[in-house]
Amino acid sequence: MRFGLLVLVLLAAPAFAQETGYAVRETEIKKEPFTDAQTVGTLSEKAQVKVLDRQNGWMRIESGTQSGWVRMLSIRMNSSQSSFASGLKSLFSVARTGSSGQTVTTGVRGLDKEDIQKAKPNPAEVKKMAAFAATQSDAERFAAENPQLKNQKIDYLPAPK
Amino acid sequence: MTRFLAAAVLLASGMLPGGAAAQFNLNLNRLIDTGKNLREAFKDVDEKQEAEIGADYAAVLVGASPLLDNPAVEQYVNRVGRWLSLHSERPGLNWQFGVLDTNTVNAFSTPGGYVLISRGLLQRLKNEAELAGVLSHEIAHVVRKHHLTAMRKSKGMEAGANALSLYLEQGGQRNAAAKEKLVGGMKEVMLRGLDKDDEFEADRMGVVIAARSGYDPFGLPSVIQMLQASNPKDSELALMFQTHPDPGSRLDALDRAMGNRMDRYASQPQMADRYAGVMRAK
Repeated sequence: MRFGLLVLVLLAAPAFAQETGYAVRETEIKKEPFTDAQTVGTLSEKAQVKVLDRQNGWMRIESGTQSGWVRMLSIRMNSSQSSFASGLKSLFSVARTGSSGQTVTTGVRGLDKEDIQKAKPNPAEVKKMAAFAATQSDAERFAAENPQLKNQKIDYLPAPK
Repeated sequence: MTRFLAAAVLLASGMLPGGAAAQFNLNLNRLIDTGKNLREAFKDVDEKQEAEIGADYAAVLVGASPLLDNPAVEQYVNRVGRWLSLHSERPGLNWQFGVLDTNTVNAFSTPGGYVLISRGLLQRLKNEAELAGVLSHEIAHVVRKHHLTAMRKSKGMEAGANALSLYLEQGGQRNAAAKEKLVGGMKEVMLRGLDKDDEFEADRMGVVIAARSGYDPFGLPSVIQMLQASNPKDSELALMFQTHPDPGSRLDALDRAMGNRMDRYASQPQMADRYAGVMRAK
């Protein structure tokens, strides 16, 4: 039921459909989000696209009559004219407090330059962080809850020339 | 000055016990060094001092915006973050993660292993791999000590470097004026941002730390695309945009650095369900 509701909300969320971008280079359009999937078309450089979905480095796009999956980093996004507040609403209720479950009125509490300039250090609040800190074994147990999360040995990427 | 002189005499005459003499010698040398070249001060920062500076730095951030009062979310972010930190070059730091209760979209780290992410950013993420990307970027700043580099270059810090050396030397008893200067230097860095090249480096490292930890490496690029797709006039993004290279150039740089190199890890999990589960919970 809860899941069904989530799906409904996701389907109804207009912001995903509103996202648009353009290709930074000529790009193959794939039938599925894999390098070796069938190529179903080509996106020319600067072609405008509607972003319909994302999956692991791939984007499902629509461009004119063409549609399919392209590499995510072949696309740059057009900036939105509407703000987050009036566009994509978060599904999440992280603003709820722990015990009461009541939604806190967070209003428009920000953190801008002025807030930092006039901030007074609050060491007591920093000490609170320690209460939630995870030990190495906490973290390892947590990771093990999902066996898909596997350690990999990978070198850092060199700076591009 | 006379105190140092007196101690130097004691030292020379061998009247101080060995350990204390060595300690004093170190301090004296350090003071002389910092007197000669004030900017050198941060080069001598050891891990303990780094953690102290980092705690003061974090105190300014949580002074500007308190922590989110949601233990489940705070704990979750700590577990993801600590797991990622184990795949960095500094797994033994006292890593601590927190969520700032603000609509603003931003994330911060401070020396010694403090990482803070805003509620506003958490609310715009789609899955755990994106969270991993953001936290890994911040972890990279800590690993490479980018804040100390930036603080060395800050104007307030140059003027107050004497204060800094006092701050570093005085152990538990901090000089209030020294601390104020140091906080000024930290604020300058928070408002001006880190070096641009350090941001690009943190992006490249962040992608790899997330992938080493088993996540889809495209989480971070996906977050930067979300930023690019946002309204640049949105006040919730103002500080983040002012202190980072624009999202387009970050994506261009990642695009060139990643090429096809990370493709073999692209099918690693994103964990949208676990992320949504924690964020929706009461």
